[in-house]
This record gives sequence, C-alpha cells and structure tokens, in this order.
Amino acid sequence: MISCGIDIGSRTIKIALYDGSAVVDSMVTMSGSAPQQIAEECYQQLLNRNDLCSNGIAFTTATGYGRNYFSLADKASSEIICHSAGVAFLCPDAKTIIDIGGQDSKVMQLLDGGKVGDFAMNDRCAAGTGKFIEMVAQTLNIPVASTGALALSSNASCDISSMCAVFAESEVIGLLHKGIPAEVILRGIFDSVAKRVVSLGRKVGFRGPVVFTGGVAQNPGVVAAIQQQLIEHNIVTPNQPQLTGAIGAAIIGYRTAVARNSASASIGACQ
Amino acid sequence: MTDIATQPEQSEKALFDYFKGSISDEIGYMREQKAAGRGIVGFYCEFTPRDLILAAGAMPICLCGTNKNTISHAETLLPANLCPMIKASFGYAVTGGCPLLNDSDLLVAETTCDGKKKMYEVLSRDHKMHVLELTQKPQQEVAFKHWLAEVEELKQTLEQTFDTTITEQKLRDAIKAMNAERRQILAIQQLGKHKPAIVSGLEIAQTRYRVAGFERHHKQMESFLSMAQRRLDEGYQAAPTNAPRILLTGCPTGQGTEKLIEIIEECGGLVVVQEACSGIKGVYEMVSEQGDPLEAIARKHFNIPCSCMTPNSKRETLLATLASEYQADAVIDLVWQACHTYNVESVLIHDFVRDELGLQYMKVETDYSDSDREQLKVRVQTLLELLQ
Ligand code: SF4
Ligand code: SF4
Repeated sequence: MISCGIDIGSRTIKIALYDGSAVVDSMVTMSGSAPQQIAEECYQQLLNRNDLCSNGIAFTTATGYGRNYFSLADKASSEIICHSAGVAFLCPDAKTIIDIGGQDSKVMQLLDGGKVGDFAMNDRCAAGTGKFIEMVAQTLNIPVASTGALALSSNASCDISSMCAVFAESEVIGLLHKGIPAEVILRGIFDSVAKRVVSLGRKVGFRGPVVFTGGVAQNPGVVAAIQQQLIEHNIVTPNQPQLTGAIGAAIIGYRTAVARNSASASIGACQ
Repeated sequence: MTDIATQPEQSEKALFDYFKGSISDEIGYMREQKAAGRGIVGFYCEFTPRDLILAAGAMPICLCGTNKNTISHAETLLPANLCPMIKASFGYAVTGGCPLLNDSDLLVAETTCDGKKKMYEVLSRDHKMHVLELTQKPQQEVAFKHWLAEVEELKQTLEQTFDTTITEQKLRDAIKAMNAERRQILAIQQLGKHKPAIVSGLEIAQTRYRVAGFERHHKQMESFLSMAQRRLDEGYQAAPTNAPRILLTGCPTGQGTEKLIEIIEECGGLVVVQEACSGIKGVYEMVSEQGDPLEAIARKHFNIPCSCMTPNSKRETLLATLASEYQADAVIDLVWQACHTYNVESVLIHDFVRDELGLQYMKVETDYSDSDREQLKVRVQTLLELLQ
C-alpha cells in the first residue's frame, strides 16, 4: 500500500510517496502563480514515473497553505502536525523542531511517539522568515543560495534591530552606505533571524535533540546562527529539510488508511 | 416575555436575516423614540449600568466599534498602534456615519483601559460625556464604595440631562426589565451546553444587539430559543458529535469581527461559550432584586471580571466554571492587538488553563483585518487536530 503526502507551500510544492516503511519517491517544484494546477501536475507526474494510477494511492493528505483547496486529497492536515510526523520519522529521537518556511517560522515540541505537545508560530510579521532573507539577498544583489557561505566567511557581525522586514531592508541599505561589507550584514541578518526564532521557541521550551527543517534550514549561515544562540543543544538538519511536511503528510495518511482497513482494497498498480 | 406559542413560526433563514440586518431596525426604533422625546445614551463598555439609564427613561445603546472600515478614519487622529475596537469606535465619530452615536444625547464612558480613557477625552470635544471612574481592586470594599459613588454621580447626571427623578421604584422596574433581558441572553448562551451541539458559536454570536430594552429584539431572541428547541426535538446537530469544543476567552467580538469564531468553526471546532463581554461575561450574574437597588446595580457591574481589574482572579473562577459546564476541550484566548491588559493577563490565563484546568490553551493576537486568516487557520487547525 502506498500513500501520498503533498505540501502546497507559499513558495514550493513538495510531494512524497510512502509505503509503510520508506519514502518511495518525492519531488519539489515552485508553486508559481497557479499552485493548485501545478500541484495536480506534480501529483500526476509522480504517479506516472512510479507506474501508479490514482487508485494505487490508498490515501492522499494535503498540507501547507494550499491544503484546503487540493481536490485530489482525502484529507487536509495542518503543516505543524505533518512536519512533526515527518521529523519523527526521519529523526526518531527529535524532541524540538524549528521550522522556517517562506512566510512563517514555527517551533514545535515533540512528545514521545512523535505527537506534537506544544507549538509557537510567528504572528503577522515577515521578519525571521525565508521571505525576509530573500528580500535582504535581493537588496545586497547576492543569490540566496550563496548567502550562507558568504556569511560564514565573516568573523564579524552587526546589529540589525528592526522587527519589520521592510524597515530591516532600509537598515541594510543604511549599513551598505556606511561601508559595512555584505558578509558582515548577512551575519547580522542571520543573527537577528536566529534570535527571533529562538525567543519564539523559548515559549514552548527547547529540549534536545533539536531538528531544524523547512527551506531555510538549507542555509548554513542560518543554521550556524541558530546554533550560536542555542549552545545548549546540538542542531540537526535532515537531508532534505524541505520535504519533511510532505513525508509527514504521507505517513499520517498511511496510518489513517491502515486504520480504515482499506489496505486490501487498494493495493496494486493500474489494471 | 411574549408567549411564543401565539407567534407564527418563522423560518430559520428569516430569523438569521433579521439578526444580520438588526442594526437598521435598531436605528429605526431609536429615531422613533427620539422623535417621541426619549433620551438616548450611548456607551462603550459592559461596566456601564444599562439599568440606570433605563430607569432614567432613556435608551441605552452600546456603541462599541466592530467595523474595520472606520479604522483608517480614526487613524487620522489616533495612533495606529491602538486596539482596533477603540479605533473603530472612534472612527464612527470621525466619519459622522453612525446615527446611533450622532443621536446620542449623552455618552457614558469609563476608565477601563488607558487607550479608551484618553480616546474619550478626544471624543468629548464634540459630545456630551460622563466618565465613570472605575476602581480596579475588586477585592477591596473601599474600592466598591468609590464605585458606588461613581454610579450615584451618573444617576445625578442622568437626572439633570433628562430632567427627571430616578425613584427607587423606577430603579426596581428597570432592574426587573434588564434582568429579564439578561436571562434571555444567558439562556441563548447556555444553548452551547448541548452535546452534540444544536447551535453553532457563530449562530449564537449573531443574536447580539446594541439597544437594550428593545421589545422587537426580545421577540427575535425568543424565536431563536424556540428554534433551538425545535432543533433539539428533531435531533438536529450543528456539528459532529466529536467536534472539539472551544471556550473562547478574552477581548469582546462583535458583528463584523467574528473572524476567529468563523475560523474555529470552519476548521471543524465549535465555540461553545465566550468568556467575554460579547458572550456571557455581562449576563452570568443578575442584579439582585433585594436590598438597595442602586447598590445592587453597582455591585453586579463591579463584579465583572475584566482584565482591567487587579488581581482579576474572578476571571479564572469563571473560566473554571464555564470549562466544566460547557465541557470545553480547549481554551482560545483572543487578544486584540495593543490591548495590553488582556495581552499581559494571558500569561496568567495560559498557566491557569494548562495547570489548573488541564486543557490546551492557545492565544491569538490579531486585529480586524483579514490578512492573517490563513496563518490563524494553520494554528487553529493544529490545535483542533491535537485534540482529536
Ligand atoms: S472587556 Fe473590559 S473594557 Fe472591554 S467591554 Fe468588557 S468590561 Fe469593558
Ligand atoms: S479590547 Fe482592551 S484595549 Fe481594546 S477597549 Fe477593550 S480593554 Fe481596551
């Protein structure tokens, strides 16, 4: 039996197939301007390349911002629940998850067995999210993918005090005019992102091991900055941190399908 | 109260349409009464004793702002970083678009939060205003004595403004009338106790009104109650039996600011009761019909567990009672952005709900705009999934 999890995020769409013990296949695409259509296409592509038809999928769970609009899903589940299930699968002893996505940051506390105990999420503010880092990279005219290495090349940091993404951008421009090098500014930006997410997490409490997921976890500069703020714990990043939500959704769906005893009815590929 | 058996049955749709459009009915009624020479008194807070205004023969109208469209107008004078309720209320004064406010002969204000208190000073440049000084230590009898003196002073202002004498008998009659109204509202709130649910939280919220002592609205609330009875008899369910039951606490909501209730119910939860001034806070206690009526009025209002009180332990007691009576599965605490008292108090409420009640707690800080709906849905849906 195979189940599918699809995470329709604000920036990217992630999709994973799970067979009860392992992730069979997965895919990541940009959401673009027609995310639901792209999601359906991804879904179809993934099925095709695995020789499956939709009957071959026992259960489909959607998560992410587009979760409530994906017509092929059997169920929509919150990304906090899905991320946690995904992380619990990939890193079974994880106790806390830091997740920074395109427009929000969250910290989740995991109970034994991978259930969410408590969680905190940023409110209506872009500071400390992927979008925020993108905006700064753009202002500095540096590709986002290079920002991490560049920040790590600097020994110095600077203080970014603005809480607002738009004002932080003007703060960055001010620093550039003062002649502060881009790598120092980037370190300052990552430090401010790290401070925000760590203080958000203090509300639920950090217990180790701490796993860092979401698109921003791919940025080594942010990972290092968070590690520096959270010296008491070792920060772990899964291989494909973007995929945890989709994997978790697939796992949750699998369990639901098992519980529904639908296993026997839905095994098999296209007739 | 009217005998409902003699009333023609109203369809549910007609009933809800009435509530949706009740503001125009209220405006019509107010104009009629004003034309007939009756005084109009606008007010902004549950601490204002409607009973006393009724006893003066005047009409009490709650002017709390729940319209997001007036906010930008308010921001031309007031700081943007202020509670949306204060801005929306004040916005009506700036735009001049609220007949209820325009026609008020007197505004009754109160010194609850600092934002409101100072906003009233600005408002008083164009409106006749009486300010009740609210004492804030509910445990102290001397605080009550001062509050009683404040209520007495309001009585004098009402007498002077409307050239009348508020006799003891008038007070007793007004208390009876207001208690009947409060009981009716309470009965509607208590429909939330049914499990499985026969009405949704959003439906209950629709029955809110602005004008106290308005007979037509009483009749509609009566119809709401009989509709609920009908649903009960027919075995109607407003939500699945296992829908998570939410106790909503914190800042008041109103017509147009039900975003959070909508989100909770769209995500599959059920708001069973609101521990807020828009819900049960003002009606779970009646005014005593024994003893000195003015003191009884003052006492009931003094007992409202608003976050402007310190310490506000009665809120915890009320939360505990409601959580058990309404079989709540979780508590969601609504804080309007920049409402400092509810915002800070949430630390205490969080610990109380988690540690003493053993329930899940979630705080939502938001304003009247829709920009964070999706973000709130993620949080609410997560909470609801955790409960299942
Ligand atoms: S919450 Fe407090 S200040 Fe607001 S209406 Fe109620 S009693 Fe008044
Ligand atoms: S919600 Fe808070 S800030 Fe707003 S009027 Fe009520 S007490 Fe004041």
